[in-house]
Amino acid sequence: MALLQISEPGGKPTTPAHRIAVGIDLGTTNSLVSASCGAGVEVLPDASGNYLLPSVVAYASDTDPVVGSVARAQSTKDPKNTISSVKRLLGRALSEVEQAPQFKQYEFDAERGDGAPAIVTAAGVKDPIQVSADILQTLVYQAEHSLKAKLEGAVITVPAYFNDAQRQQTKDAAKLIGLNVLRLLNEPTAAAVAYGLDSKEQGTVVVFDLGGGTFDVSLLRLQSGVFEVLATGGDTALGGDDFDHAIVDWIKQQAGFQVLSSTDEAKLLHYATSMKHQLSNSEEVSIEFNGWSGSLSASDFRDITEALVKRTILTCRRVLRDAQLEVEAIDNIVMVGGSTRMPVVRQAVEKFFGKAPLTDIDPDKVVAIGAGIQADVLIGNKSADDFLLLDVTPLSLGIETMGELVEKIIPRNTTIPVAKAQEFTTFKDGQTAMALHVVQGERELVSDCRSLARFELRDIPPMVAGAAKIRVTFQVDADGLLSVMAEELSTGTKAEIQVKPSYGLNADAIEEMLKVSHENAKADMEIRALREAQIEAKQLIDAINSAREIDGDLLEASEARQIDNAIEHLASLIASGTSVQIHESTEELNRISSLFAARRMDLHIGEALKGESIDKVEQ
Amino acid sequence: MQQLNQNFFSIFELPESFDLDLERLTSKYRELQTEVHPDKFAAAGEQEKLRAVQMTSYLNEAFTTLKTPLKRAAYILQLHNFDTESVSQNDLGMDLLIEQMQLRESLDELPKDDSALPQLEQLKKDVTNRLAEKRTDFAREVEQGDLTSAKKIFHELQFLEKLLTEVASGEEQRLGY
Repeated sequence: MALLQISEPGGKPTTPAHRIAVGIDLGTTNSLVSASCGAGVEVLPDASGNYLLPSVVAYASDTDPVVGSVARAQSTKDPKNTISSVKRLLGRALSEVEQAPQFKQYEFDAERGDGAPAIVTAAGVKDPIQVSADILQTLVYQAEHSLKAKLEGAVITVPAYFNDAQRQQTKDAAKLIGLNVLRLLNEPTAAAVAYGLDSKEQGTVVVFDLGGGTFDVSLLRLQSGVFEVLATGGDTALGGDDFDHAIVDWIKQQAGFQVLSSTDEAKLLHYATSMKHQLSNSEEVSIEFNGWSGSLSASDFRDITEALVKRTILTCRRVLRDAQLEVEAIDNIVMVGGSTRMPVVRQAVEKFFGKAPLTDIDPDKVVAIGAGIQADVLIGNKSADDFLLLDVTPLSLGIETMGELVEKIIPRNTTIPVAKAQEFTTFKDGQTAMALHVVQGERELVSDCRSLARFELRDIPPMVAGAAKIRVTFQVDADGLLSVMAEELSTGTKAEIQVKPSYGLNADAIEEMLKVSHENAKADMEIRALREAQIEAKQLIDAINSAREIDGDLLEASEARQIDNAIEHLASLIASGTSVQIHESTEELNRISSLFAARRMDLHIGEALKGESIDKVEQ
Repeated sequence: MQQLNQNFFSIFELPESFDLDLERLTSKYRELQTEVHPDKFAAAGEQEKLRAVQMTSYLNEAFTTLKTPLKRAAYILQLHNFDTESVSQNDLGMDLLIEQMQLRESLDELPKDDSALPQLEQLKKDVTNRLAEKRTDFAREVEQGDLTSAKKIFHELQFLEKLLTEVASGEEQRLGY
């Protein structure tokens, strides 16, 4: 077969040097695959000529999984065995998703130890990685059939706002079917590549990506083939679905519907979606539903979706701010995602940036095309000299320190790959182990950020508190994946992990976390001050207690009593006092115990000097 | 760019000075990226790939440090063996502390709603102007070799940058971000 293909008359001329790599847009609703075909990169159709593969997988006990439109068509007949929107399950915990309306019909496997949201189907239990792998497999077949060659690698796109766990699991799905991942590429960056390379564009570009369920904004600078992402932001709980629900609510209110059956709710939502689509091309749409008739005008639609559109513009504003740029500095705006077809969105974007957005590439295909271009470069077909992507981390990475506080090590929007080292020390005398807890998020408290991984550094040589020097190095690679290494500097004790948690950050919570992070900046600071005061106080009490074990006889009974009282007072404040009270009381204890400290000092210096020659001491 | 401990200025073939040509820095950064970035080694062995990740990380750190005025100032002091983390009483004059306190108070006293936005804008301008003056002073002291005075100015820059961040976040809160 292989020999026949090479000499096949009329086939595309394939030189042996040309290696086959594809770009894959693995979407929530639809997936696409693209490859370089002669003149440029094109999206590859399936046997029936369709470009969009619905991201739906149907499982049965006696046949292989069915993926795509056939699976979608049978979803109402066999909802339990037909899985859609699996992208929303990647990197999540079962507890985060089991209540979500779109996953109500599934039976999740509660017995799993890793807490992943695995679904019980007729073909056995399927976790999100396996379901994603089945979709990828179909895309690979589609590409190999269309290109008549074996794939050597793929670039897979992910939302820019995907966290470490979601990225890792996307890569794992590819690994499961033996697909070589050349790179995980952020979706808005892929879109910029599709536009930028076509038009040989220079300047500063905003990519506005509004999909069915998520929203991403990236700001890039394009110059001499280098695509540098300056900042990225998003809202993982904002998409076209929300506009449908706004229409549903409006109809209910206009018609005075109080309670609807679940079938009527579903029907109404279906109507709303189709009204939304019609409003992209007409000024008014009429509707008849359960005996009520009315019409929705484009200007009504504008009013009821104003708040949603405003949220997209606020995110744009924030991204501009992160990049320290004014609106005037933006040369072009690229629109990505089916939801950007809505005139209300396009007009708001045009008004904010003061210029019309670019829409000449099909917003459904643009991400896949960009991924295909990058794949062609990474596999070595295209000269890498005319093209380079520099992307950023979407969320800050940090480590837990004393008092459940987060020490940020890599702030969001740092160019990757990046390595940052930070030194930490021990808290107690003779401490020989240290637990490291890696988190992702913008808040100051560990509990408000996403836990990524925990690991332990052992065999630290026993030293007094604060003497050990532990250097923790965070390395984020070009896929946005993190590895952490810790090393005790005086002995070289090492610990290293690739961060691979069982589930990722609740993506819906990311935007919320960012938002709340700003609202709570002040409250966080107060909590931080309190925690620091508590730690300082505890350290002083510990130090005095251990000093008294050794040199307690240096204290007179009345002095000892005074110190006891001050410690008791301070201990009660640690439990219930404010940072200011604790701080004052710590100072007080410090003052009371200073005489004791001075006596100890004298004693120990005296001991240390015994046997030293005078001239040595004077030096 | 040859090794992982190279002086940041020499990586970009720039003279060691606080005043630097940002355009040259940026264009040299891009040029070096196209040489060391992991994408150029997608087909190479694991060892080479790892090396590319490390080199690019170092290059990114060097670029960020030199691009950001406060980080650049700290780096210059560190090159001359000054510990920028520690601040002594001598580094901060009384007049500086009073000035900073006044600026901070004027920030705290502003109304908590968006009526404060024009004043915040003005405060931002004032602090930005002050920063520009102090950066000029810092550059001059470094040029003249008086790094002890430069260190004092560095700590003033730290105060002003911090204040500017607070003004910006005050603005964000009032804009409802």
